[in-house]
Amino acid sequence: MAGKTQARDRSLWMTYWLRLRSNRASVVSLIGLILLVGLAAFGPLIYTKSAITPDYKAINAQPLAAHWFGTDNLGRDTLARLLLGLRVSLIVAFYVEGLNILLGATLGLLAGYFGGILDVLVTRLADMLFAFPGLLLAILVAASFGAAVTDRFGGIGRLLLVAGSLSLVSWPLMARLVRSQVLVLREQEFVVASRSLGASDAWIIVRHILPNVAGLIAVSSTLDVAGVVVNESVLSLLGLGIQPPDPSIGKMIVDSMPFLEANPLQVFLPSAALMLIVLTVSFLGDGLRDVFDPRSLP
Amino acid sequence: MFTKRLLTVLLVSVLFILAVAPAAAQEGGNLRWSLEGINDLVSLDPAKASDSQGFTVIGLLYGGLVRLDGDLNVIPELAESWTVSEDGLVYTFTLREGAAFSDGSAVTASDVVWSLTHALDPATGGWTGPFYLSNIAGANEVASGGTSELSGAVAVDDRTVQITILQPSAYFLSQLTFGSAKIVSSKQATTDAQWENNPLSSGPFQLKEWNHGQGIVLVPNPGYYQKSPLASITMPFIQDSETAYQLYRTGQLDIMGSQQNGIPSVHVAEAEGQADFRSTSLFAVRYVAFNNKLAPFDNADVRRAFALALDKQTLANDVLAGTVVAADRILPLGIPASELPVTSLSFDPAAAKAALVAAGVTPETIGTVKLTYGVEGDNERVVTVLQAMWKESLGIDVTLEPLELSTFSARLNETTQTPETGLQMYYSVWGADYPDPQNFLSQQLRTDVGNNNGHYSNTEFDALVDQADVLTGDVATRLGLYNQAEQIAVSEVGWLPLFNPRLNILVNPKVVGVVFNGQGLIIPDFAALNVSA
Amino acid sequence: MGNVILRRFVSLPFVIFSITFITFWVGFLAPGDPILSMMGGRNDQATYERLRHLYGLDQTWNDQYFRYLGGLLRGDLGLSFRYQGRPVVEIVSGGIPVSVSLGAVALVLSLSIGVPVGIWAALWQNTTAERLSMAAMLMLYSIPSFVLIPIFRWVNYQFYARGWPSLPVAGWGQPEHWIMPVLVLAAASVGYIARLTRVSMLEVLKQDYLRTAYAKGLGQNRILWVHAFRNAVLPIITVVGPSVAFLVTGAFVVENIFAIPGIGFLSVQAIQQRDYPVIQSTTVILAAAVVLMNLITDLLYSLLDPRIRVEG
Repeated sequence: MAGKTQARDRSLWMTYWLRLRSNRASVVSLIGLILLVGLAAFGPLIYTKSAITPDYKAINAQPLAAHWFGTDNLGRDTLARLLLGLRVSLIVAFYVEGLNILLGATLGLLAGYFGGILDVLVTRLADMLFAFPGLLLAILVAASFGAAVTDRFGGIGRLLLVAGSLSLVSWPLMARLVRSQVLVLREQEFVVASRSLGASDAWIIVRHILPNVAGLIAVSSTLDVAGVVVNESVLSLLGLGIQPPDPSIGKMIVDSMPFLEANPLQVFLPSAALMLIVLTVSFLGDGLRDVFDPRSLP
Repeated sequence: MFTKRLLTVLLVSVLFILAVAPAAAQEGGNLRWSLEGINDLVSLDPAKASDSQGFTVIGLLYGGLVRLDGDLNVIPELAESWTVSEDGLVYTFTLREGAAFSDGSAVTASDVVWSLTHALDPATGGWTGPFYLSNIAGANEVASGGTSELSGAVAVDDRTVQITILQPSAYFLSQLTFGSAKIVSSKQATTDAQWENNPLSSGPFQLKEWNHGQGIVLVPNPGYYQKSPLASITMPFIQDSETAYQLYRTGQLDIMGSQQNGIPSVHVAEAEGQADFRSTSLFAVRYVAFNNKLAPFDNADVRRAFALALDKQTLANDVLAGTVVAADRILPLGIPASELPVTSLSFDPAAAKAALVAAGVTPETIGTVKLTYGVEGDNERVVTVLQAMWKESLGIDVTLEPLELSTFSARLNETTQTPETGLQMYYSVWGADYPDPQNFLSQQLRTDVGNNNGHYSNTEFDALVDQADVLTGDVATRLGLYNQAEQIAVSEVGWLPLFNPRLNILVNPKVVGVVFNGQGLIIPDFAALNVSA
Repeated sequence: MGNVILRRFVSLPFVIFSITFITFWVGFLAPGDPILSMMGGRNDQATYERLRHLYGLDQTWNDQYFRYLGGLLRGDLGLSFRYQGRPVVEIVSGGIPVSVSLGAVALVLSLSIGVPVGIWAALWQNTTAERLSMAAMLMLYSIPSFVLIPIFRWVNYQFYARGWPSLPVAGWGQPEHWIMPVLVLAAASVGYIARLTRVSMLEVLKQDYLRTAYAKGLGQNRILWVHAFRNAVLPIITVVGPSVAFLVTGAFVVENIFAIPGIGFLSVQAIQQRDYPVIQSTTVILAAAVVLMNLITDLLYSLLDPRIRVEG
């Protein structure tokens, strides 16, 4: 067991891939997500209409040849904005969830596994941050470093700065979730048995704990994606989100809401994009959960 | 900025009036009148209220010496008459006989003196008193904490108050109509520490209930000289104006939108033409201001180029769909002196480019400039359009810097204090505190006045407004001087005015006795205010 | 176990102290202040300075902080800047019961739908019906509340316009005022809870001891409820515990739109207006509530699975 070879590793990844491929919903989701990422990456290069140039004579226009998906409340091309907004929202979602997993899952796993003073510190810190007014921190960070970051990296830079500062205080939920699962796992027979056979902590974590919490991490972080995309738009209501005239999916929804009755399509399109992101990411999360599950069949 | 807009609605003068013919009064109606944009009142102490919702309520609960009528003339309220000395410095008011607080006790001259002093007293913690009452002799001494005796206000006898002012002023009486000059019961205020939660009323209504976070209920004050036949006024606090609109639409309100948050613009078209729709242009102007101490906007030709490059008609009519009126000058239409013509900088891309040449700069030498704004309402749509227009007409790249409102206030204050580290240009609004050109010109653009955040400075402009400010007798000459000053500020782009906002509200046709004008909803005669069956 | 409880209560003051300290610093450093916010665009430097002095904002940070801490120790949360002269205790205590009861009802509703659906989905994993119901839950979950509310209202207005029974658009105080806000709040969390339940059920259903239980021939229902659900419920109570904090801060859009006098909107507004005493107080109260809820959660862990040792 201990003497695993490279060949066995490759076969493990192959098993993962075979498992994923056997799950139809996951495959569809994976393809969908790759399409979305592809659209975000290459869409604006192919569909070159400006996402930020207003057309005052075509405000809130319905779809037509000049604007395939119509225009928004400033006469800007909706398809171009959707493609650009998709890019912004996907970057923010992956970035925030990456930080969330990095901070929350790691701390929660270590706290749950090792217990003791580490657990006390992490849980007390988590308790504290649950109640912390993160908005205030975001305001401070945006005001202190926002202008400098915008000058160097543009509006997306400031957005990532603000979102990152919020991640610093929003990891505790993930940490507690992972910790709760690890608390159960570390007392399970197979872990106890492993330990009594002299396995190192690192080996137990990687071999036994991580595969068993990976599903929870995948499901919880993919579920958070919807929250991240929407929260970014709420931040923009306070001047802390994406900087105009650039779009994000959430901001497109917020901006078009006042015109809901006049032009419902402009609310529907970005909302549908948000749902697509959530559905593909979540079902892929489910698929990954099954893949990493040590007890599932190939 | 927020409060600026709130106050806009409060002390402005008439553009046009939609008067309601008095109908036969019905006993015992309940008027449901929403207060939008707040979830609670700041305070019921007139000296502490600071937004238009608060002042709406203060105006119902408290009387002043004078108030504004439906045409925004100053009329007697708790003072039945007054005289002014020859030099224009001493006002002697005679209180109305029988004027009483809601507990039946008489409103006396010492209540007036106490109330004015209270509004100025730094321990009160309000800011409107020092701002609006500073012309009263001794006001600054009280406000700075030096003394608690307001030397300029004297109770001669129970019914006579004498107020001495520092400078003759055409707008002093208008300033007295403001909330900070309302009369509270000195007896209650000096004996009951909790008085502001349950104040005695000197106005047409008194407090019945104040449900924090939900609303207030008022009932008529029997001691007031005009008795409203209404049984009560219910005023719920509705943060979101879309919600207020929906409440009105489902028959839950009689008046919505009357402070600063009117009908949401998307519903204006469907509401227009209905019997309950009322609309007015506000005495406010939205503008872009420049930091005159920083390049490139220290050059008047560059500012002119930026002004000439904007197609305000398109902004007002196409983008904002006629919910605002494009403005080419500083004074909103209807403010005295706004009827005098000025030559404005209308949209002209060729002239805009020529102005850049005259300034000796090119888009390349200017580089990227930054337009800062507070995130609120339609601001973002407007600045996005400005950005696109400047790019198109001048080829200049403007970046937009959205700031959260408090951060924006702080940056604006910093621009006033240390222009070198301040904003380059910013989008802002000014609403009249009282219907006088002084409030728009002398108080905003004179060299080094507090509100001149952008440090515009022109000695000729200063001389003209200084002369006009103290002129009381000759109205035509005074307005002429302001007109000359305004022309200078328009030509040199002290401000770059964009448009005057409109306010659209809904009033149930059954509500009688209210007038809607640039100041908001006014009740000229409380005895005629009612909801007919 | 008594030991754990005792130690938690001992650690509470440290948590409170740390969070007031950090919140204070962040607020102190953030640009803007309550006076500027109150005065709007009016620039009257003399009045501004005087008011800063009156409210003690011109004092050094440690004077301000220790004055606040001193008040806190005496149970005095200070006076609001914005709602002048009103004690923060009064302002906050009015809103807490509203936010907590509204959030609790929404939570109970979403648990009572989400948990059964999640269990069902786990048992019928990979069937079309399961996929469709999960997709529907996800779609509901991904609609932001500020989009969902106008849709609800539009439907409601169609009822009103036809003279059919309809719900009030907004307001607070009557039982019918609860229905729309509770539905909107529950819609946001039911999908989350269902999916979380599903994944932890799947996790547990595959554990060896359940296979052992099967092998022992225990009835399926008994296995399901006694063994599987008891362990699967851990992540759910983990989420429910600290969600008192989210109920308050997360409900601000709903409170704003429905004109509900809770503290969700109040706390966001306080941050925007730099009403420091209110910010501090909501933070302290939330921190205490979170510590308490997490303690209960941890105790429940040990209760549900006696092998779990909880530290701290």
